Amino acid sequence: MIEIRDLTKTYGRVDAVRDVTFTAAPGRVTGLLGLNGSGKSTTLRILLGLTRPTRGTALVNGKRYRDLDQPLRHVGAVLEQGLSHPGQSGYAHLVTQALLGGIDRSRVGPLLEFVGLEEAAAKRTGDYSLGMRQRLAVATALLGEPNVLVLDEPANGLDPPGMAWLRELLRARAEAGGTVLISSHLLAELEQVVDDVVIIGQGRILAAGPLAELAGTARLRVRGGDPVRLAGAYEKAGAAVVPYEHLLFVSGLTPEQAGDIALEIQVPIYELVAEAEHLEDIFMNANVAEVR
Amino acid sequence: MIAVLRSDLYRSVSIRSSWLALIGFAFMAALFGWFSKEAWSLFAGIGAFGIAVTVTAQHYQHRTAVLVFLSQPHRWRVLIAQCLVAAVLGTTLAAVSGLPVLLDESAAHYASTVLVAPVMAVFGALCTTVVRHPMWLLGGLFAWLLFAEGLINRMENGLPFAAFALASAGNTKALLFLLAWTAAAVPVAVWAIHRDLAGD
Repeated sequence: MIEIRDLTKTYGRVDAVRDVTFTAAPGRVTGLLGLNGSGKSTTLRILLGLTRPTRGTALVNGKRYRDLDQPLRHVGAVLEQGLSHPGQSGYAHLVTQALLGGIDRSRVGPLLEFVGLEEAAAKRTGDYSLGMRQRLAVATALLGEPNVLVLDEPANGLDPPGMAWLRELLRARAEAGGTVLISSHLLAELEQVVDDVVIIGQGRILAAGPLAELAGTARLRVRGGDPVRLAGAYEKAGAAVVPYEHLLFVSGLTPEQAGDIALEIQVPIYELVAEAEHLEDIFMNANVAEVR
Repeated sequence: MIAVLRSDLYRSVSIRSSWLALIGFAFMAALFGWFSKEAWSLFAGIGAFGIAVTVTAQHYQHRTAVLVFLSQPHRWRVLIAQCLVAAVLGTTLAAVSGLPVLLDESAAHYASTVLVAPVMAVFGALCTTVVRHPMWLLGGLFAWLLFAEGLINRMENGLPFAAFALASAGNTKALLFLLAWTAAAVPVAVWAIHRDLAGD
């Protein structure tokens, strides 16, 4: 469980984050979205004890990061697109981190295999591609088998199979009861993996909630046998209808209501689609609302 | 703290550039040892300072300090561990590079240099924690040695490297000066290591 309460970080007169409050719950993947400079990395760095807050609290499993006993066994973090000394091999890097966290170095081999780097284990990390560095960073985060994962832009540099692998990994961690907090600007990617969304802009929370709730059901796209009669019936039921060629875009009705009305007036339906908002729409709307 | 110490020692031996720096500084000290044991002492001290700078600064240069602070959020413990690592490497450097001096029947001079070298290494680790950038430190070291200690102070007691050179010859007062410089660096380093780590 991650709890962020009234978090504020001020640099001089500028608030990098201001009164940020949200929770990332166990068993769910929470996405932290924001433009560059919106404050998401600052929030994560405060959570991980790398930056001191001006005020507010950031708790992991009910404790400040610095108060966790053996923090790497509680929290795994992927930051800054893979941190390692470029002159060290992937294997040596993980052994260094295992020694650092008091973790049995026997985990290193299986982890390298798990992230698909077993053949590059002896290679210097300076010769790794960005995607390989990200995989190594994920292996580093998983060393202590933590139940909380914090990932800052982990998909950067990953190829499509790498992204699919990361999605599966994060889903599996959440389904096993873990807490996953992930920040990314790759909204389409994030949409496929997150349960909850926190949108941050100019250091403040713009929107937060379950993705399904935020996406909602914006409108229905209906294609039927008699568009004119259908439109009339829907409008009579209180819906707003916008005809477009052979289609009707209907707002204010559920798919069930739209189907029942069509059945009532004996007009066949060939297509009935509930068009939910995509994460990108939600994000853009939240930012546009903030600008206004 | 022991975990950080073990990890940093393993890290130092698993990175080629750290090895090369250790060998390079030791070779330089040994080379000057052929001229005089006093020259060896001075360059063993510079080497101990240099290897401490190299190993400690790598954490900031490649941002692996983030990983260290994630595993050990109490940063003063990290500072102590890094000072101990520097002391071990500094002692090794002095002990190995001074073998010709030892064989030249200057055992007392060899022993006092090897005993004082870790103090200089700790001073190097503390300075690196404050400055964080190895090139600034090593460039600054060169300028400091040339102008402050060489031209202005004429390598007389009082400033850290001259104090090291004299302490390694058994001068107790010089050792106290060196310890005072190191002690003075401690609170600044403690403050510096608690600074926020900026993002990439």
